[in-house]
Amino acid sequence: MSFYKLPEEKNMSLNRIKALLLHEMYITKHSFEVINDILFYPLFSVVVFGFMTLYLVGSTGKIIANEVLAGMIYWQVLNIAQYSVGVGCLWDVWSRNLTNMFISPINIKEYLFSFAISGTIKALIILILASTLSLYVFQFNIFSIGLFNTILIFINLVFFGFSFGVVMLGLIIRFGTKVAAFAWGFINIFQPFMAVIYPVSILPQPFRGIAYLFAPTYVFEAMRKNLNGQNAITEIVYALMLNIIFFFGATIFFRYMFAKSKESGAFARLEG
Amino acid sequence: MAVLQVKNLTKKFGVFTAVDDVSFEMKEGEILGLLGPNGAGKTTTIQMLLGITTPTRGIINYFDKDFFKHSQYCLSRLNFTSAFNNLQGRTSIWENLIVFAHLYQVENCIPKIKKLITRFEMDDLVNKRYFDLSTGQKTRANFIKALINDPKIILMDEPTASLDPDIADKTLTFIEELRRERPITILYTSHNMSEVTRICDRVIFMDKGKVVAEDTPLGLTKRIQVAQLRLTFNDKKEIIVKYLRKEKLDYRFDGEHVVFITTEEKALPKIIFDLSKEGIWMTDIEVKKPTLEHVFLQIARGEKYVFE
Repeated sequence: MSFYKLPEEKNMSLNRIKALLLHEMYITKHSFEVINDILFYPLFSVVVFGFMTLYLVGSTGKIIANEVLAGMIYWQVLNIAQYSVGVGCLWDVWSRNLTNMFISPINIKEYLFSFAISGTIKALIILILASTLSLYVFQFNIFSIGLFNTILIFINLVFFGFSFGVVMLGLIIRFGTKVAAFAWGFINIFQPFMAVIYPVSILPQPFRGIAYLFAPTYVFEAMRKNLNGQNAITEIVYALMLNIIFFFGATIFFRYMFAKSKESGAFARLEG
Repeated sequence: MAVLQVKNLTKKFGVFTAVDDVSFEMKEGEILGLLGPNGAGKTTTIQMLLGITTPTRGIINYFDKDFFKHSQYCLSRLNFTSAFNNLQGRTSIWENLIVFAHLYQVENCIPKIKKLITRFEMDDLVNKRYFDLSTGQKTRANFIKALINDPKIILMDEPTASLDPDIADKTLTFIEELRRERPITILYTSHNMSEVTRICDRVIFMDKGKVVAEDTPLGLTKRIQVAQLRLTFNDKKEIIVKYLRKEKLDYRFDGEHVVFITTEEKALPKIIFDLSKEGIWMTDIEVKKPTLEHVFLQIARGEKYVFE
């Protein structure tokens, strides 16, 4: 299990984390497609679902319509948190700069921690913009569930999104750019199980077992309860516990993939 | 103290051995050329020295410290530049350098970056995106990045590949200047033998993953005992042929008036003297001595004689 602990990782340097954040900020600043991915597409999805909720209000009532819209907003939060990790690395793979990054004295903790920070910032921006859009265009206040509940939901979704992104990053580092598309789309495979815009009870019985393996399922269930004025602390605690387990699993998986990639020579060949 | 110490370094990919029990040392201020044909194991060796490929076995020590146990200590004191790696293409040179200065925790980095930019005559280009630069400009930007942490050792993987002769010469001149300023240690790989002869103190030849020769560039060329004599003569070709056959020399005619004779260097004066005695009027005499390129070809092809 030598891959589990790489040397000299006791101390994280704020300077190096700052460097990685600056690096990502500069890339974002110069890349219209990144701005597209992290702003326009998520907001566009919210707008589409917003109009759908206006339609649903007439047939299903306001509560269900709001649940759908809130689910879609929070899905964007989760998605952007996972996207940040995998795609953040890919910009350097495509530029043939990843070697330069990894022969500097950064360690894995700093690398992942910087993604966690940038992912959280991006997710927060999405939440603020989408909630503003939803309030003024669709007259739905996502913060109506209370700030505390919002924070718990946000933290849990970002936590899961980050861990999921770390798994995707591990796959990219191990198998190269042929799995690069995972950074964008792989999370969507699991979306039907996570009961984002509908309750778990809608799912066929065998799928419910799978659904309850994912922390976001509990988070989205909690969100729906909150929107109905109910307390959902049990769901949040389950989500947090699953998130902690998934986070440790994801980081161990990433370290294993990273070590295997360096062992097989795949890491050095990542840049083609 | 050795700046870099490599002992029994081996890398296997399945049953294929890319690097086979390689050992060498580099002392402070030394420029060591790592040469060999494609597939010799040079790049894999460099990747292991940078920590991006894990060795199957062997020891890498920088500054007497185990690279694996003290990776951050070692990495903060070394740097790398290559024609095959870029900086982040979407961001400007300035932004790239700011990022790397922070990664290497360079103190007071702004004046330092400015100084390096001026030195490499890139003041007008700092705000240009890296991808928009020419190959020569990218090479200069890569060099600035490689110097940003005042490294004690730089690994250079074919830094002049794909550069035009003028920019390649400027790059070598820069390396020579750098070396005059401070005792920097450089591991240099290239397929350009004249470059290696010009800047390297010592050369290691690798072939099929193993070190097959190690010496100074001059020492290596001296290992080839043969030289090539190119004679241009007026007439009497048949007399020359008769003489060369009698002396059992290796020769090749190029037309009716030029002959190439490959033999031991010390035998050349006698050949000229003998042919002169035979009444051969030689209008031009040229002696081609072995170069590092001939050593390379000899090792790569496994041939005794390497002159064309």
